[in-house]
Amino acid sequence: MKKLLTMVLALVMLCTLCLTASAEEPVTVNFWSMWNSGEPQATVIEEAAAAYEAETGVHVSIEWKGRDINTLLSAALESGESIDIFEDDYNRIGQVYAPYTYDLTEMAEAAGYADNSYAVFNNQAIAWAGYLNSITEQPQVGGVFYDKDAFAKAGIEAEPTTWAEFLDVCAKLKEAGIAPLAQDGAYTNFSFYYHLVRYLGEDAIAELRDNGGWAQSEGAVKAAQDIIDLVNAGYLVDGAPDEYPSSQNKIGTGEAAMVVCANYVTSEINAIFGELNWGLFNYPAVDGGAEPTAAYAGANSLAISSYSEHPQEAFDFLMFLVTGEYDQKMADTAAQIPADPHNTAPASLTGTVETLVAADKPMTWCGALNTHEAWATMKSMFTELFEGKYASGEDFCAAMDALY
Amino acid sequence: MRKNKALIVCFIAPTVLCLLAMYVYPVCRTVLMSFFHVESLTADVSAWSFNGVENYAKIFHNAGFLISMRNFLLIWLVGGAITLAISLLMAVILTSGIRLQGFFRAAIYLPNIVSAVALATMWVQYIFNYDYGLLNNLLTMLGLEKFRWLGTDAKFWAMLAAYIFGSVGYYMLIYISGIEGIPTDLYEAATIDGAKKVKQFFSITLPLLKGIIKTTITFWSINATTFYLWSKLFSPVQTESSTIVPVVYLYDTVFGGKGVVTRDAGAGAAVGVVLTLIIIAVYLITSVTLKSNDLEY
Repeated sequence: MKKLLTMVLALVMLCTLCLTASAEEPVTVNFWSMWNSGEPQATVIEEAAAAYEAETGVHVSIEWKGRDINTLLSAALESGESIDIFEDDYNRIGQVYAPYTYDLTEMAEAAGYADNSYAVFNNQAIAWAGYLNSITEQPQVGGVFYDKDAFAKAGIEAEPTTWAEFLDVCAKLKEAGIAPLAQDGAYTNFSFYYHLVRYLGEDAIAELRDNGGWAQSEGAVKAAQDIIDLVNAGYLVDGAPDEYPSSQNKIGTGEAAMVVCANYVTSEINAIFGELNWGLFNYPAVDGGAEPTAAYAGANSLAISSYSEHPQEAFDFLMFLVTGEYDQKMADTAAQIPADPHNTAPASLTGTVETLVAADKPMTWCGALNTHEAWATMKSMFTELFEGKYASGEDFCAAMDALY
Repeated sequence: MRKNKALIVCFIAPTVLCLLAMYVYPVCRTVLMSFFHVESLTADVSAWSFNGVENYAKIFHNAGFLISMRNFLLIWLVGGAITLAISLLMAVILTSGIRLQGFFRAAIYLPNIVSAVALATMWVQYIFNYDYGLLNNLLTMLGLEKFRWLGTDAKFWAMLAAYIFGSVGYYMLIYISGIEGIPTDLYEAATIDGAKKVKQFFSITLPLLKGIIKTTITFWSINATTFYLWSKLFSPVQTESSTIVPVVYLYDTVFGGKGVVTRDAGAGAAVGVVLTLIIIAVYLITSVTLKSNDLEY
């Protein structure tokens, strides 16, 4: 009897163990985010994670790492930290973290991701990493952002497409008592780079970076001279180039009408002064310029670690977040361009989706110059250009050559 | 009493192990790394490639690093001279028995208990601001033109002035503690002998503060070498040549910057080693030139 009882108990224990072992553990996906808890983006991600868990049972565990996530990610990925999804500038994902990123090509094809994203970012990611290794979350586009009400007050009906038209617009704004252009010192490099790209294109700028010869470059001299003329004409708002964000804020106060920046400038100003009637036009083309239309495009993107144990679950969550309902919610809440072109941009970013859809190759954020060893000095010289420190384009270019 | 060696080892071991793991190992690894080409800070040693002193040659030929060193030297020398001189002057005044000295001590020390971020924001947004800053309001009241305090020419000095304002109280307290440790008999005897306050300062206070001055110079050197936060707060979006300092250069070299994806942990390590050598050199020079042990009281 004892033997039988022992056998039955042993059998019961065995069955219990088997049942326990076979019961599936809920899948958890670890997500390192570049946002801080409480930020609009973080709020939407939390909501999306909760909805995704309710729908699929997959738990998304989020760690808010903030903007300095780039100081943590390399070490974390190299040491095999338990990360399934991470988030950063797509430039770094494509070039720095590429060895630790999952090839998303097949999953993206199966999900039809190409139809719900911008080719400009996907192509660039593939060009850097050799395969699709990031999913765009927060697209950015650069250009001239302006206050439509200020344009209306000055009687300006059409957006300028050439530098000559742009100067006409500046003159009309000045006549109407509105300073045409706001310019913070932090973005003088971006503004001048944009102008330089119009004359030379990024490849020619990269040659100047490597070999010098600025004074011999007609385009570089003209670009610098244009800025000097712009400053001398009094088209910058009083105090410009000012300390960020003092100058751009003058669009909010109605003192200035335009600013050359990326789209986040609109949400920064709206956050202080309330919703402005924003417009956007591409940086004007210059006569005989090599690159009349390229627009800055950048993105904060999401990637899956190459060693993730749950890549499909992670990818499905990314699709849940960057397309459809939650992408629209992100665009509305964080006042950003939707990652899914089928969604609608906030009113202040009207036209940005169309600009990105039409773009095939992005202009970088000073990418052809920022690897130069004297980049910090160059940036200060660009600010000096807007401060009116150089008498002519030749003087400026000679000073640039002196750095070599 | 017989020493229990095992017990001593047990007590010391955790501290020694922590010291080895948290201080000695990182220092050794950094020094070693500075002689190798290493892209990522945490790259496996097998991925390092030896390149001798190339990292040092690279940083000393780099315009950004040289500007950062120039800025560092100005902070250390000019900022140090002004800060320590004002601190000493304040300390002497506040130990001379003036009225409300407790209030003045607290008021001068106050910036030290305010977050550096808040302090720098106050300077940038409310004192140096072009449109409504205190300084430009004063200039306007005097009928003068507004000045661009945060323009490329003046930004470094604006940053240094703000930093000095935030630092004086700290060094003043150190000097006050040193002055209060000097026996009052010496001053009384000097007063009876007819020595004026200025004479007393140069003949009694200053010589007896040599040890304290050495300490403050070392502290200032360390603070100037590790200067980072103020530079970032005065250039919040991107590094600028007017505010770049070696630690910011190191950070950008190791982690990249806005739109910059190139990284060089080996060169960053070389910067770290150079900064450490500077601190050691300053300490040795001050130890040799300011011997505090030749006076006793």
